[in-house]
Amino acid sequence: MSDNLLRRLWRTKQGRIGAIVLGLAALLCLFGPNLAPQNPEAIDFLGRFRPPGAQNWLGADQLGRDVLSRLMTGARSTIPLALLATLLGTLAGAVIGTLSAYLGGRWDEAIMRSIDAVMAVPGLLLALLLVSSLGKGSLNAALAIAIAFTPGMARVTRSVALSVRAQDYVKAAIARGERGSFIVLREMLPNVIGPVVVETTIRVAFAVMLFATLSFLGLGAQPPASEWGLMVAEARRFVHQAPWIILAPAIAIGITAIGFNLLGDGLRDALNPRDER
Amino acid sequence: MSAVLTVENYTLDYRTGWGLRRALDAVSLSIAPGEVLGLVGESGSGKSSLAWAITRSLPTNAMEAGALRLGAEDLRTASPQQLGAIRGRRIGMVFQDPSTSLNPTIRLGEQVIEVLMRHRGLDRTAASAAAEAALADVELRDPAALMRRFPHEASGGEKQRVVIATVFACDPELILFDEPTTALDVITGARILDLFGRLRARTGVAALYISHDLGLVSRVADRVAVLERGVVVEQGVPADVFRTPAHSYTRVLVAAVPRPGHRLVEDTPPATTLLTATSISVRYARKRLFRPAPPAATHAVDFDIRRGEIFGIVGESGSGKSSLARALTGLAPFTGAIDLDGRRIAAMDRPYRRAVQIVFQHPDASLNPRMRIADILSRPLRLYGGDSAEVPRVLEEVRLPASYASKFPHQLSGGEKQRVAIARAFAAKPALVICDEITAALDVSVQAQVIELLLALRRAHGTAYLFITHDLNLVRQIAHRIAVMQEGVIVETRDAADLASPDAHPYTAALLAASPAPIG
Repeated sequence: MSDNLLRRLWRTKQGRIGAIVLGLAALLCLFGPNLAPQNPEAIDFLGRFRPPGAQNWLGADQLGRDVLSRLMTGARSTIPLALLATLLGTLAGAVIGTLSAYLGGRWDEAIMRSIDAVMAVPGLLLALLLVSSLGKGSLNAALAIAIAFTPGMARVTRSVALSVRAQDYVKAAIARGERGSFIVLREMLPNVIGPVVVETTIRVAFAVMLFATLSFLGLGAQPPASEWGLMVAEARRFVHQAPWIILAPAIAIGITAIGFNLLGDGLRDALNPRDER
Repeated sequence: MSAVLTVENYTLDYRTGWGLRRALDAVSLSIAPGEVLGLVGESGSGKSSLAWAITRSLPTNAMEAGALRLGAEDLRTASPQQLGAIRGRRIGMVFQDPSTSLNPTIRLGEQVIEVLMRHRGLDRTAASAAAEAALADVELRDPAALMRRFPHEASGGEKQRVVIATVFACDPELILFDEPTTALDVITGARILDLFGRLRARTGVAALYISHDLGLVSRVADRVAVLERGVVVEQGVPADVFRTPAHSYTRVLVAAVPRPGHRLVEDTPPATTLLTATSISVRYARKRLFRPAPPAATHAVDFDIRRGEIFGIVGESGSGKSSLARALTGLAPFTGAIDLDGRRIAAMDRPYRRAVQIVFQHPDASLNPRMRIADILSRPLRLYGGDSAEVPRVLEEVRLPASYASKFPHQLSGGEKQRVAIARAFAAKPALVICDEITAALDVSVQAQVIELLLALRRAHGTAYLFITHDLNLVRQIAHRIAVMQEGVIVETRDAADLASPDAHPYTAALLAASPAPIG
């Protein structure tokens, strides 16, 4: 089945490009620090704001550190954590949303109103709150982002699950006396997965930016770490003087986000058994 | 006089990912002025493709050959401007579902006025008066009030009348009817057909009437063409085509049409009662703070089903027959009592759920699209003390090959999917199977096969059926007793044989009169 899924994913154009982009990103995460041409933390005062050239391919930052090397090293602390945070948030949100749609009535009302209450707090503020109570650090930041993502995912999932709930196969399962957990996990969840996957892949990009914001505020990754969001945040002051410092990590984040989106589109098609390609 | 519409050697292909797919193959038809041509075919036979081709609404992947002419004008080479003057003005269209062919956010009157201003060049006041006259023509009461209403404030029959009024108001040469009564109740549909008969006699319009229902077409059409997979296999006067069909496909179609006189079940069930339902009331929503409680879907309905009996429930949509099925399977909350085999069912327990199974109308919706057939069938087996190894046997029972176990539902045809749904119900070895309109979504020839299968399963297992349908002709063929429901109440329960007797309830008589007369 999973073998089959990968083959079908490869056959869609978006899936193929997404897989290639993310494959490169994965390589960067695994071997980035070994491949980096220079020490990402080596300070070179003579080379401050050096434009891209032979010495520093993507230029040097305000401390003369090689941007390319920092980028390659930073992949490891950026992508896996953003992915982890999104997956945790998605999973929690999807189960809550499907459960809420399945239970219906007063339970649905109670769950969704609580979710609305949580959503009334801006995501960043919620993440800030959680990190300051959990303590600084990258893992805590990931957890905070996951929790901040959960209500939104629950809403998206619930709306899809409501239409699935009305389908006769769910009624048939209720009529034959299936357990609630079976109906939620086996009958409904596989049928709501499509939109959820797409939403997830879009949120990975948000997660990267949220990490950057937390790092900028001093609650996520700590300098001199080369986390991409932190790089963007640090380079913000020099955007007119040396635009390459901010452009390089921003483009890296963008490409990663596009890679996830394409993979999401491909997965949506590959997960649909009706798609016979 | 020359023909209104000429279709000459018309071939249509769709370019798909798997190569060309032929929808219509060298179709030749012509409709004379004032003539109604019936086009009959099962789903996928290309009848709607022909309607789209005539209105030039084909998708971009269509490839055509042959000629389509309206009078002397070639439709295929007409420019968009010319088409704008033809559609609605010279060719009128009536679609299947009036609730989707009318814009839900525009008042009914506006929708008629707009068409009249566009096609008859009237100004607003003149169009408004003409619209009112047109609505009066289709025998709508109080047209002025109706014009101020939105589509959701009108009934299905009223909406379809508004559509027909709009079409006739433009005085077209040709009207395309695409299953115009399929989405309506039998009685409403019969009235719409009568109306069309009167309007046609007055205006002398020509029409192409597309339908899957042979009985209906034989009443409406002057001539009929039978379409099989894009090929016209037979053409002629309805009475001749249906009484002495020349082509084998027409013979299959005609044989599959249910005839109430031809009983398929001859035995009488034993007198032992299997299930008794006492004053079942289903109510969907409670009284809210500022909202009164909605009327109950069924009011204190009583009935009993004998062991091995086929008990039919007929009625129009909204009469509460499906609510009854949902109550009996524990899908809808209800008040009242159910006794199974003399045992009072307090809560839906496992033995009851095993004994009473349900098959739904749409096999597309009742089979989980992400599960393989084997998984779908092994659930009830495991739940009710069977074994997944029995899946091949269960499939064989509904005459499907064991290799289907590894397929997904979308890889099966509609009839095969319904067989899987039936297999799922029978996997529990039930005493009663509730069939909720199970053949309504199927073609007539497939319907005959499914009914035949149900009867064979009943002979093998002695299962009783609660057969819910709106098709009186079908249920009179198989049921032992029939209950007629109207507005949540069973108005009478009779033996199938004397349903048509003169002392029947007036509503039963109305239903019988509205059911399309069987052919031949």
